[in-house]
Amino acid sequence: MAVTLNSKPDVFDAISHPARRRMLDLLVEADRSVNTITESFRMSRPAVSQHLRVLREAGLVTERRHGRERRYRLVPERLRPVKDWLAHYEAFWDNHLQRLQKLLTKKSNTP
Amino acid sequence: MSNTIRREMVFPVPREQVWQAITDSATLAEWLHPNDFEPRLGHRFTFRVPPNPKVNFEGLTVHCEVLEFAPPSRLVFSWSAGGPVVDTRVSFQLEPDGDGTRLLFEHAGFDLSHPWGDRAFKGAEYGWASMLQQLASVLARSGNGGD
Repeated sequence: MAVTLNSKPDVFDAISHPARRRMLDLLVEADRSVNTITESFRMSRPAVSQHLRVLREAGLVTERRHGRERRYRLVPERLRPVKDWLAHYEAFWDNHLQRLQKLLTKKSNTP
Repeated sequence: MSNTIRREMVFPVPREQVWQAITDSATLAEWLHPNDFEPRLGHRFTFRVPPNPKVNFEGLTVHCEVLEFAPPSRLVFSWSAGGPVVDTRVSFQLEPDGDGTRLLFEHAGFDLSHPWGDRAFKGAEYGWASMLQQLASVLARSGNGGD
């Protein structure tokens, strides 16, 4: 799969591909080399590297030389915008469930 | 990356009363939004989130379908509002808890993979999400003041 980049990918673009989300899942467990990551996928190493590049440019992973291999590490703080986005919906439901609670409590006090 | 919202609450009223509050269109409108909900499996309906010019929010229609209907314990409906919020599922599970009722609420199925490729849509979603938060705080304030 060709990954063309017109501009720096943001976090949401980066996680929009299932392969990249699986890569992140792998990196949650431990730092891994490109070889180890490639073993978990049915795609060529260059294809894996392309995806890792997208993740790197979005700041979701960092790359370090470790002897002769390159190792990738997750930068979990960068997932915050995703969490924040869901937090909007959490706030929505918290607000409305509180209204439900108020409504039902009011009704129980005035039978 | 969890993509499910879960909440648990206990209400000091019998299960039938909570069931009524989540399955009666007028009562749903009181704590959620105006809607054309009908209490039957397969019914398609919408919630109309009203515009709020104060926070520059244009309003929103949420498309829903009743997926599970098991009085007085379980209600599930789909919830589609665009973006990553397409065919998400909102479920209410009611269980007796002493004299009251325990609600297990879940909003599941946010598809974090689908929409973000489309920049225009993402912009809309972002805008809407932040408006929604503002709207929520406006509603919270009005709730504390008036009714």
